[in-house]
Amino acid sequence: MTSHDDHRPEEPVPNVARPEADPTTADQHAPDPSPPGQDAPAETGEPTGDWPGLSPLSVWADTAIVALFMVPTAIVATVVLVVADQPLWALLPLPATGAFIALMTFLDMLRLRAVRYRVTADRMEMRSGIIAKAYRSIPRERVRSVDVAAPIYVRVFGLCTVTVGTGEKVGSGADQLKLEFVTAEQGERLRRELLRRAGSAGTSRAPEEGEDEPVDEDGTELARLDPRWFAYAPATTATFGIGLGVIAALLGANAQSGGHGWAWISEQAGLPGSQQMADFVMSRLLLVVPLFLVGLLLSGVVILLLAAVETWWNYRLTRESDGTVRLRRGLLTSVSLSVEGRRLNGVVLHEPFVLRSVRGASIQAVATGLEGGDDKKTSAKSRLSPAMPRSRARALGAALMRQERSPLDVPLATHPRAALRRRFTRATFVTLAGVALAGGLAWLHMVATESWWELARTIEEHVIPIPLVVESVEATPGWGWFSLAIVLGVLAFWYAVGSYRGLGHGLHPEYLVLRKGMGVRDTVTLERSAVIGWRITRSPFQRRLGLADVSATTAAGAGMYSALDVGMGQGLAWADEAVPELLAPFLERPEANGETEGSRPTLLP
Amino acid sequence: MSNDALRLRPPNHRVDRRAVGWWTTQALSVTVVLTAIPVVPALIWEPVRFWFLVAAGVVGGIGLLITLVMPQWRYRVHRWEITDTAVYTSSGWLWQEWRVAPMSRIQTVDTARGPLQRAFGLSSVTVTTASAAGPIEISGLDHTLATEVADQLTDSTEAVPGDAT
Repeated sequence: MTSHDDHRPEEPVPNVARPEADPTTADQHAPDPSPPGQDAPAETGEPTGDWPGLSPLSVWADTAIVALFMVPTAIVATVVLVVADQPLWALLPLPATGAFIALMTFLDMLRLRAVRYRVTADRMEMRSGIIAKAYRSIPRERVRSVDVAAPIYVRVFGLCTVTVGTGEKVGSGADQLKLEFVTAEQGERLRRELLRRAGSAGTSRAPEEGEDEPVDEDGTELARLDPRWFAYAPATTATFGIGLGVIAALLGANAQSGGHGWAWISEQAGLPGSQQMADFVMSRLLLVVPLFLVGLLLSGVVILLLAAVETWWNYRLTRESDGTVRLRRGLLTSVSLSVEGRRLNGVVLHEPFVLRSVRGASIQAVATGLEGGDDKKTSAKSRLSPAMPRSRARALGAALMRQERSPLDVPLATHPRAALRRRFTRATFVTLAGVALAGGLAWLHMVATESWWELARTIEEHVIPIPLVVESVEATPGWGWFSLAIVLGVLAFWYAVGSYRGLGHGLHPEYLVLRKGMGVRDTVTLERSAVIGWRITRSPFQRRLGLADVSATTAAGAGMYSALDVGMGQGLAWADEAVPELLAPFLERPEANGETEGSRPTLLP
Repeated sequence: MSNDALRLRPPNHRVDRRAVGWWTTQALSVTVVLTAIPVVPALIWEPVRFWFLVAAGVVGGIGLLITLVMPQWRYRVHRWEITDTAVYTSSGWLWQEWRVAPMSRIQTVDTARGPLQRAFGLSSVTVTTASAAGPIEISGLDHTLATEVADQLTDSTEAVPGDAT
């Protein structure tokens, strides 16, 4: 609710009228050239002409959301206490809540007075903090992305949150500057101003290309929501899982009520007892099991559709006249994300397995300033499109990269057969583990006595209203476990072949292209000029097979993109061609220098 | 395919010979600690003494083997080189890694020395780029040499313009 540096109650000396530059948060690369107000005795950061503050409405937005959650709770608590015949206690919740909300509002007002920001010709500055003063300053050339978000409870007040990303990786939190909340028009102005840099070198290629696309006052439109795309939303492996989650939550609630919940329902509906139900189900398995699965699927589909509509409603991707790529989306929380054109170093064609099998894909950005805490968060933050038809996604990727010949269409080289052998070895281990597990379970099945089954059944009856699992397990013959192991083995080898087929690497005149993955297939394009180093790793197995992982390191996106299990020579030749003269001085051809890998030349310092 | 094709040549300079001692000490101390863990219950608890001693023996045996093999192996692999345009290192033993970073993309250069490295008169040079792939580290250099290398790197990177991203 507040920015990173507010509220440091442990600070011993309050009201020290000295806004000091906090060493952990101030920009480390550019010691600020005596910011205004640094030594002026500015009390609590009072407004000084050109230092705008947050919108006064933001206090009310915060108060409203706190009240919305706490007042009903307090009312319920009061009613419960009255019913429980505790009239004195019942007087407590409402006044306490009122006092708490008042305190929060007061603190928020202090925060509101303290936070001031401004955008000068070359810096964005922000002062915050009630007790401990913080001053942060970001050179404008380091601003990589501006994220304007407006959750529904903020939007009704005409406000929004502005997050400025810098792409710095100095500690956590130091790479972002967050304003909660400013008015929508202030947010829009900030977004425009922060990313506009007149005569910036990297955006110079914006005007000459892409003039054949429709241009309105918002810039060039790259993509706009087609409601039919929502059909792709449920195409994930999570669909069943989410359905199972719903069922598990219901079962959990039933177990919490000690089974009374189900008993009540079955009494109301006049259902027969659980034993009869179980018998009924067992006698009509062919009907009940598919129905159950369809139920799972439907509940998953509904939830995923709702989530997709909330996330991608009003989706629009545009390129503005200065080269900035702007993403707008969201139903309840409307989001506007802007990435400076030259910080967009490539795209990822993201194809999770189920989506891929229905010819869908989505596009993510490879850009600096969009880093999350880990790869998963980075990937979520970098999404530039919902799931859409693959051909549409490829076209969008090409449009984003502004290339005549799309880097996503570059033919990719396959990796050596040895890479397939490695995947087969792994699949073999999985299969062996499966067989061992099946053997163990079959043995347990054989030695299990009637009392064990009795115990298992008792436990199950407490958890599931209609006990079926234990009974069907008991009825399974011992070899049933081995058929499961066989299915697992087949799946493992199928996965191995798929992940080998997924491997690929290629070169475009401007981009390098990498592809990998079976569960999630990602085709990554990365501008060659954005490569800031190489990392080659080899495990003992890879050395034996002549393979290596060749990774390009970059400041953008995940920070490193790898060609897995590529032939050592093949990968080095690719890397050398991708970024000429970087790797070349360190390469040798065996013909020119006939030594083996073990013996090192004697070039000691 | 890879047999007739390109190969990485080893970087020019080995690390300091004393690094072998440093790695040995490191591996030995980890081995001693890990071996001591099952020995303690073996001393206190009579009935399971045999099995805990076996566990300690296995852990200690593997640890000693690593202590004997790893430092020599690392010494053969760990190398570094700094040219006018790039930093080039190789490291590891079973799992090996080669790193190249161009001078123009280097953000910071640090030297660091832990207490154990100091005892051997060694230092590490850490070279950071803007990538999340982690810094490039040249460990086990002679302390004076490390300082010189860091100074030289700092000078060369300052001479190259750009914001290193």
